[in-house]
Amino acid sequence: MDKRTLRHEMLRILDKDRVLSDDLDVMYYSYDSSFLTKIEKLYPDVVVLPRSTEEVQKIMRFAYEHGIPVTPRGAGTGETGGSVALTGGIVLDLSTWDEIVEVDVANMQVIVRPGVIHADLNDYLARYNLFFPPDPGSSKMCTIGGMVANNASGLRAVKYGCTEQYVLGLEVVLPDGEVITTGGMKSKAIKNVSGLNLTKLMVGSEGVLGVITKIRLRCWPKPKARGIVMAVFPALDDAPATVLDVYQAGILPSGIEILDQSAIRAVNQFKPEIALPDAEAILLFEVDGNPASVEWEGTTIAEICRRRATQVEWATDPQRMASLWEGRSVTATAAARVRPDGSRVFAGEDISVPLSRVAETLRAIRGLGQKYGIPVVNYGHIGDGNVHTAPVIDPENQAEVEKVKQLVHDIHLLAIELEGSTTGEHGVGAVRRGYAELEHGQAVGIMRAIKNTLDPKGIMNPGKLF
Amino acid sequence: MNFKELPPVKDQIRKCVRCGRCRTVCPVFAEIRNETAAPRGHVFMVQMLRDGVVAPNAKIYEKLGNCLLCETCSTFCPSGIDVHELNAAARAYITKNQGSVAKHLIFDGLWTHPHLLRHATLMMWGAQASGLQKLARGLGLTRLLPGDLPRAEKILSRIPLRSARSRLAETNRAKGERKLRVGYFLGCGTDLFNPDVAVATVEVLTRNGCEVVIPRDLKCCGLPHIANGKLDTARSLVLHNLDVFTRLQLDYIVTDCASCSSALSAKNLQFVLGEKEFAGRAAEFARKVIDLTAFLVDVLEVNTWELRATGPVRVTYHDPCHLAKAQNIRKQPRELLGLIPGVELTEMSEADRCCGGSGTFSLTHYDLSMQILDRKIDSIKATGCDTVATCCPSCTIQLRHGLKRHGYRARVLHPVQILARAYRGAK
Repeated sequence: MDKRTLRHEMLRILDKDRVLSDDLDVMYYSYDSSFLTKIEKLYPDVVVLPRSTEEVQKIMRFAYEHGIPVTPRGAGTGETGGSVALTGGIVLDLSTWDEIVEVDVANMQVIVRPGVIHADLNDYLARYNLFFPPDPGSSKMCTIGGMVANNASGLRAVKYGCTEQYVLGLEVVLPDGEVITTGGMKSKAIKNVSGLNLTKLMVGSEGVLGVITKIRLRCWPKPKARGIVMAVFPALDDAPATVLDVYQAGILPSGIEILDQSAIRAVNQFKPEIALPDAEAILLFEVDGNPASVEWEGTTIAEICRRRATQVEWATDPQRMASLWEGRSVTATAAARVRPDGSRVFAGEDISVPLSRVAETLRAIRGLGQKYGIPVVNYGHIGDGNVHTAPVIDPENQAEVEKVKQLVHDIHLLAIELEGSTTGEHGVGAVRRGYAELEHGQAVGIMRAIKNTLDPKGIMNPGKLF
Repeated sequence: MNFKELPPVKDQIRKCVRCGRCRTVCPVFAEIRNETAAPRGHVFMVQMLRDGVVAPNAKIYEKLGNCLLCETCSTFCPSGIDVHELNAAARAYITKNQGSVAKHLIFDGLWTHPHLLRHATLMMWGAQASGLQKLARGLGLTRLLPGDLPRAEKILSRIPLRSARSRLAETNRAKGERKLRVGYFLGCGTDLFNPDVAVATVEVLTRNGCEVVIPRDLKCCGLPHIANGKLDTARSLVLHNLDVFTRLQLDYIVTDCASCSSALSAKNLQFVLGEKEFAGRAAEFARKVIDLTAFLVDVLEVNTWELRATGPVRVTYHDPCHLAKAQNIRKQPRELLGLIPGVELTEMSEADRCCGGSGTFSLTHYDLSMQILDRKIDSIKATGCDTVATCCPSCTIQLRHGLKRHGYRARVLHPVQILARAYRGAK
């Protein structure tokens, strides 16, 4: 179908202020936060901003009938090109559909529409002493719909896990416009093992199976206390060894972060006043819970750290905690500024490896950076083996772009070789689909079969996932 | 300077990783809510312009125009991008290629000559006062202003007959011993729309030992020109003002207008003049420029023993973007208000959220500006205060308009006006 007709048809479904049908307007939907969309121009034909299940159904029925690609999108903060249309068609911007439908305090759950912002949801839930634990770094801007579609997580995944653990049920508009409810049509149960688990199938499906239009989330009681331990290590291998000792002591911190030497130097260069000691690694542990257990866990972790660390500090005072955490909180920004003429690119940024191989991984990535002559800053969630790598290049220099593509490819292969995964939390999108066979082998055939059953015309977010 | 060679365009676009942090803080995005109004969207479009993917045209200007240049996103940007400068640079690039006759007339012809600007303002005032608004509109008088202006009348409802320039002497002697000789950068907004603020400024400064010089030939700071794609005109205004002030041997250059002090800040002068031309006397000039409240609190020791309470005043303070975000001046106006006996300061929620005025923005984007303003007025109403203090003539005009629209009775004053009243009570 030609662009003009498609745009005209969308205007019949939605008011004109919720259809972007101009050649200029649709250009703004050619990117997310990925490196891919920085170097390629991928324009949709039309962008629509639906705000009801019926509207989504109408759009899907039309798209299905005419075989038009549909790409769902939240706030466009992803790092894999997942919410960008690779082959034109319709982009569904769901970010304005941000209603918190119901907070059910008695049943510890909340029902939301896909466009609710993560931080806004937690601000709202705080009134009820509840929270939705997964905490991506993009909390202030990412949508719950996007989190569900990518099975997102963050700093606290080590204790609280990923989004999937909290999704109790979903309303999904299928490619042909039919609506299903997963997790039980009327269910408000927290435990439910009846039927095939379609909720888990949908979580992390990155928009290739349908459009998520309503989300029932489990909430947890909000912890009353927090504390931070910072420890500085002279040798990189001391860091994972210490993490293991902490686990062995029967403690599950809510977050364990690592800054390797590259990150420490980047932070010091960016903000000299933070003055991190120049070491091989810094670990930050966060513990939360009730005040007595936080105190015990924090002091015990500090004691364990002292076996190997040259410097250890334990704090519960909010100001002191903030200053201990400051190095970590500015790392991503600092990484972007290690080269005044450069920029951090989001590619190969999210591999996940076994805990026992974190040090090996960090060393190998450092080596790859040297091999290609690209500054690389490493940090991440060491508690669950999720390593964030920030290559810094001039994205407008073609030679550097080609080199970084090679570097990223090597990092992805490294992850698989070290018994890990190419992505721990950001997803596959368009940029990692090439590794599907290598990672999953024959299972990819089953994934495709499931996709074909639900989306026989292949209109849902084509070119993504596998 | 060539658009592509401007430092933000040359060095900063590549730094945008499109993380989307700006989406959550932008007051315009909060209303429009699609990517075309996101600050990162503006950065993207400036890149498309730079790379020649799109040609400069009115449609793109309109998209880039959905930005208050309030600097909120620039403040929050993890990659340190001056989104407002990129946007202003692109507006200038488009205007150069696609400017409108009316715009050239206003910004190059009218707004570069204080006297002509005053005459135009007076004509508008005359039209209102004599009930000839219809005629004025018929003649296209109001339409000469940028954008869809006949609505400007709603905002600029009361234009004082006498400008501050016509009420104040060029040199105003210090009362008592002279401690400092300061230049007063009397901005257009204060001069034409809030002359009482200028009178209070001079009164407070002279009472505190300053000799105050108001150069007769000072011109606009150039901010309206930057916002409206007239970067070259802004540059010549800045150079003119540099000449004027450099001659005067001043200790400080003070202004009560947030927009003027941000326009004359080192950061902005570097943008307008370029690094090379900035070095030297412009840098020296910028070092002397200071916001009035910061000057009173940080530099002068304000005479408090002569202050008398003029009755209880319940005040809430609105942070102008060009003070709070552009210059991180937040505590000084509050401290100043705290010095005045009888002032009871209540914080409104989101005190530093933009009011939607932003100079000519409220004229060119009336409806959008009112949506942004509504949130601000709700915050003010919740305080129950009878006075709103702020340090920006554009905010003042906008807030007065909003309060009237909402039927909420409160005065909008510059802190220096409240201070001057307390001094007068002492007489």
